[in-house]
Amino acid sequence: MTSFTQAFKFQNPTIINFGLDTASGIADLVAELGGSKALVVTDQGLVDHKIVNPAIQSLEESGCKPVVFSDVPPDSDLQCVERAIEYAKREGCDVVIAIGGGSVIDTAKAVNIGLCNEGDLRDFEGINCLTHRLKPMILVPTTAGTGSEVSAVAMIRDKENGKKLLYGSRFLFADIALLDPRLLVSLPPHLTAATGLDAVTHCLESFVSTTANAVSDSLALEAGILLFANLPRATSCGDDLEARSSTLLASCMAGLAFTNAGVGVVHALAHTIGGKYGTHHGLTNAVLLPFGLRLNMSTTEKLYARFWRHLAGSGVSRDMPYTSLVYDPSLNDEQAALALVVAVEELLKLCGLPRSLRELGIPELTDEVVMELAEVAMTDPAIMFNPGEVTVENLVDILREAF
Amino acid sequence: MAVFSSTEELQDVMSLLWHEIKESPDMANKLIQSKLIVQFRYREPEGLLTIDCSDAETMKIYTGPINIKPMIEMSMKADIAHEFWLGKVNVPMALMMGKIVSRGPTPKALALLPVIKPAYAIYPGVLEGKGKNAQMAG
Repeated sequence: MTSFTQAFKFQNPTIINFGLDTASGIADLVAELGGSKALVVTDQGLVDHKIVNPAIQSLEESGCKPVVFSDVPPDSDLQCVERAIEYAKREGCDVVIAIGGGSVIDTAKAVNIGLCNEGDLRDFEGINCLTHRLKPMILVPTTAGTGSEVSAVAMIRDKENGKKLLYGSRFLFADIALLDPRLLVSLPPHLTAATGLDAVTHCLESFVSTTANAVSDSLALEAGILLFANLPRATSCGDDLEARSSTLLASCMAGLAFTNAGVGVVHALAHTIGGKYGTHHGLTNAVLLPFGLRLNMSTTEKLYARFWRHLAGSGVSRDMPYTSLVYDPSLNDEQAALALVVAVEELLKLCGLPRSLRELGIPELTDEVVMELAEVAMTDPAIMFNPGEVTVENLVDILREAF
Repeated sequence: MAVFSSTEELQDVMSLLWHEIKESPDMANKLIQSKLIVQFRYREPEGLLTIDCSDAETMKIYTGPINIKPMIEMSMKADIAHEFWLGKVNVPMALMMGKIVSRGPTPKALALLPVIKPAYAIYPGVLEGKGKNAQMAG
């Protein structure tokens, strides 16, 4: 948390509509937004597993004919977005709905840019350069991790030019984020854990970021409690609706926190490693998080200590076997901050997550590759929000240790 | 009151500053290696400055309208640019607050911020050379 005298702006124009089976009422939300024909962006897996059915049924019964585009790959690209835009234009869609994970949601946001702006989507790459409102947008996450449903950014791969396009604009905020925990019940354990660690990383990195503020801090702290208390249960018992609800809500809260405060070195490295090896973003964050926390320890000890006291003080260890989260008021800041790192390691273990980059399928990290990754990560925007100065040498050390 | 009273004064100061950057090998070499063409679009007063490193050999500095397509455009009030060069602007925060508009691959531009940091120390001297006091102006 920074000084209360420092100016900040906390943005969230999105209505958060949370509750079991809320997807079944999506047609009412479309009507509220004045829509009559909805483009539903999703992926084939969600269609096959009938995750999209409650929403589709709701739209069909209301007479708002859904136009389903289910051809979104795990790491969406410009060609996919362009196909969806063409389809939506042909069908005359006036509302955009995304039902899916981060890739689906980012695709829907980029589709909406293309529906409301003429020209090449590459021309709209940038921050704050969209000039007008887009079509009404409802985002329905089916994972609890990315927080994309409340973020104002989208990243799309430009395969032709071998790069990722970053779009950031207040017009990319959804009108409504619809959070229905029941849609997550069949999410497999490894994906539940991996995406959940993305949310945990959002909490911890936004809490100590250079642009953290009192509002983002409160969200990060509360989301942290929900995640530490419920992520292991959501992972091991997928149909535990209490755990699913808590982690979905926490992911959204952590999304609000990082949207307004940024992330840090862990995300910078995860983006870089994911870009080179295609590793899962949440898993990569999970492996790197303890290392990132240790790197920042000297500048953020007090903040980590505060986070630990909040977590431990919430009684999270009463229900979950965290030895590091048994509240002990005698711990000084250094001890409490270290206990937070241990708590993260315990969480990784409870969720059965990998602890090394090697376990993510990276076969080898030569000195040359390590240096290349470190140098690319130094140019990732996420690193600008990191609380302490980071050097290439720091990143090299993390990569070697994490391997 | 705006720091710069006219387009001419604004472009003059910014151009002079960038020529100083060009003369500093530590900064210039890294900027040239980026091969970027970055255009700064100022308002209140209006101004336009284009830095072209696309040939990877030299840094070209242009003021005013020019027939070159920039890879990155950064738009802001001239006062924000002034505060930036005084080292008083947290760029990620300014982007978040909508004070800076960035068109194009923003991460590439942000990656160059540490490179141009030494120019913060040069800027007050540039202002003084033009008869402006950095502290008064800031």
